[in-house]
Amino acid sequence: MDLNRPALPLQNKAARNKAALAASAIAVALLLSACGGGAAPQGAEQAAAADPASGANASGAVNICGVKDASGIYKGTAEAFTKANGKVTAKYTEIGATTDEARTQIVQRLEGKSTECDIFLSDVIWTSEFASQGWLLDQTELVEANKDRLIPSTVETTKYQDKYWASPFFTNAGLIYYQKDKVAKPETWQQLYTEAAKAQGNGFVYQGKQYEGLTVNFLEMLYSAGGEVLDDQGNVKIDSKETRDVLDFMSKGLKDGSADRAVLTYNEDPARLAYESGKFGYQRNWPHVYRLLNATPLADSFGVAPLPAWEGGKASGVLGGWNLAISAHSTNQAGAVAFIDFATTPDWQKHVAMDYSQAPVNEAAYSDPAVLEKMPFATELLASVKGAKPRPISPVYPQISQAIYKNVYAVLSGTDSTEDAVKKMADEITTAKASF
Amino acid sequence: MATKTIAPSAPPSAPPSAPRTNARDRAERRLAFRMTAPSLILMALVAAVPIGYAIWLSLNQYSVRTAGLSRFVGLDNYIAALTSQEWWAAFGQTFTFAAFSVTLELILGTAMALLLNLAFKGRAVLRTVVLLPYAIITVVSAITWQTMFQPNLGLVTNVLSTLGLPGGDVVWLGEHGYAMAVIVMADVWKTTPFAALIILAGLQVISAETYEAAELDGASKWQTFLHITLPLLRPAIVLAAIFRTMDALRVFDLPFVLTRGANGTESMSMLAYTQLRENRLVGEGSALSILTFLTVMVVSVIYIRFGGGNIRDVAKEEQ
Repeated sequence: MDLNRPALPLQNKAARNKAALAASAIAVALLLSACGGGAAPQGAEQAAAADPASGANASGAVNICGVKDASGIYKGTAEAFTKANGKVTAKYTEIGATTDEARTQIVQRLEGKSTECDIFLSDVIWTSEFASQGWLLDQTELVEANKDRLIPSTVETTKYQDKYWASPFFTNAGLIYYQKDKVAKPETWQQLYTEAAKAQGNGFVYQGKQYEGLTVNFLEMLYSAGGEVLDDQGNVKIDSKETRDVLDFMSKGLKDGSADRAVLTYNEDPARLAYESGKFGYQRNWPHVYRLLNATPLADSFGVAPLPAWEGGKASGVLGGWNLAISAHSTNQAGAVAFIDFATTPDWQKHVAMDYSQAPVNEAAYSDPAVLEKMPFATELLASVKGAKPRPISPVYPQISQAIYKNVYAVLSGTDSTEDAVKKMADEITTAKASF
Repeated sequence: MATKTIAPSAPPSAPPSAPRTNARDRAERRLAFRMTAPSLILMALVAAVPIGYAIWLSLNQYSVRTAGLSRFVGLDNYIAALTSQEWWAAFGQTFTFAAFSVTLELILGTAMALLLNLAFKGRAVLRTVVLLPYAIITVVSAITWQTMFQPNLGLVTNVLSTLGLPGGDVVWLGEHGYAMAVIVMADVWKTTPFAALIILAGLQVISAETYEAAELDGASKWQTFLHITLPLLRPAIVLAAIFRTMDALRVFDLPFVLTRGANGTESMSMLAYTQLRENRLVGEGSALSILTFLTVMVVSVIYIRFGGGNIRDVAKEEQ
């Protein structure tokens, strides 16, 4: 509409109706512009496989596509690979400013059978969804060939229907940051919550907004308490005593002052900013926060710990991080294999930690002296990574995660009882799994 | 086609005599139709094809497990949506949002327009400056509002607790009611200038003579506003209300950034987005989009019926 002439009188009724209709139509068209288009029937069963030996004779260009390269790791890896390889040139193309945007862009390219990208940077939770659609090259042989240099838990994130569909590039796991001058290093969640409730400035901040991050925060505790969402056969196991215990525990924490009620509005950054104000004792966040905290007045007073254990249980966590998936429509699969081979070498994995502060998928890197100098919390990080498990692996993961975070949020915010929320969670996950 | 205009100030247009039906008239009409046909066809393609396609999508289910697999399900997607608690919750929440935000925007917009209509130095500059909030990308302003209401750190919460006012210790975006209030405030802040501009244009076409006559008759300022300004402004206000309501019923970005739909703020558009984009349930999501579209259309028709009737009365009185 033209702002300079907004009061132009509407003509007669018919014209006004038409204007309203057209405006509404545009609204719908905008809403719908994203959907549409379907790939030809092709499932994971018919997918072609990547040949691990092909990388040695590769040549030509390889294009890696994914989210905005904030730390420089993707472009850096592509450059280093091009220099080291000599025959294959790799470049990184940013196709989305945020994770959600990148996923939309990737799905559009995969549905449209685009040959633009040879490798997609896949969030660990997308891999099974992409694989189920027959969009990816089967990397089972490649992963098997590289398995001895990869941390097993990170390899599990690429598995769908007993095959591997990607190679892990770098991983991620939650850590506890704590104020050494106020609180003790937490061994168990119970101890952390008790300590956090003791004094005004001891409180615990985490990611409690209604979004994916809440699923992660909840599952970290559920896994350590011995609970699970789906078992190995894919049966829904969320309706359990462990789920109830964890929900009661978290919601009690909000009531007795262990955790500030503000966490209900926090995702990663607000949680970090709140902690940086110095008004809290504990923070659950990702490894990248370490570097940021070092630039604040808290630099000398904070400590890093792996996620604590559940009382009487073990320490666990939820894996984040990024995998390298080869597009089924790649025109340079050999080049893609060569790139993946390079990116997962123990030597380059050290650079992943030293140059870009990301968590390597190679265990030896964590004890390398050069890495420890740049990343003093590498030992704690490795403990978190090794204890962590993937989120439920399913092509309908987004729906499963919504069922978790919406119902957990309802309990935490006090709008639903634990009992009802657990039942709803189980029902919704069962419905999601039965999706057509 | 009748060309009678409805704005009070518009000059009387073509005489409203019955159309003559001689041969030359008919030929002219045919020619006019032929000349406008290309653009009419283009408009139909641009508007109708996507809607038709969306309707087709909404009558099918598309597999999220096997690529390319789909099945025709008739109205099942609609039945599922209309029997779900989620849809009706989003429906109610969207209307609550629209009612509060549009009402506030019209009241404040009228006040702002009256101020901007006064003769003072720098008026032209100010008229541009008030549009600034409208020019800011909604997602950016949403993040700003989120920061302002952040507990412990936010500007608003800090000011409230420093002054000892209620609300300082409330986690605004974490509570029912409060969260909706923040979203309404963010929307009012952003789009009031737009409403004000439409109303200002309406204000400018009210002739000075009308006011002079009122003054001669000894009407007070308040009486003048109530009996001259407001009735003559009605067409502009209704127009602003239609635009704003249609926008408000499609609200997406504010709740998406501020709460992700938590605490009773999920809108109809957000629901459709989640199904279409996040879950890739194309059929189910399209049905939700069509339902949102129908809701907006029904509301627009009601507006035009009732608001429009008033406009005609005003125009008639003028004549």
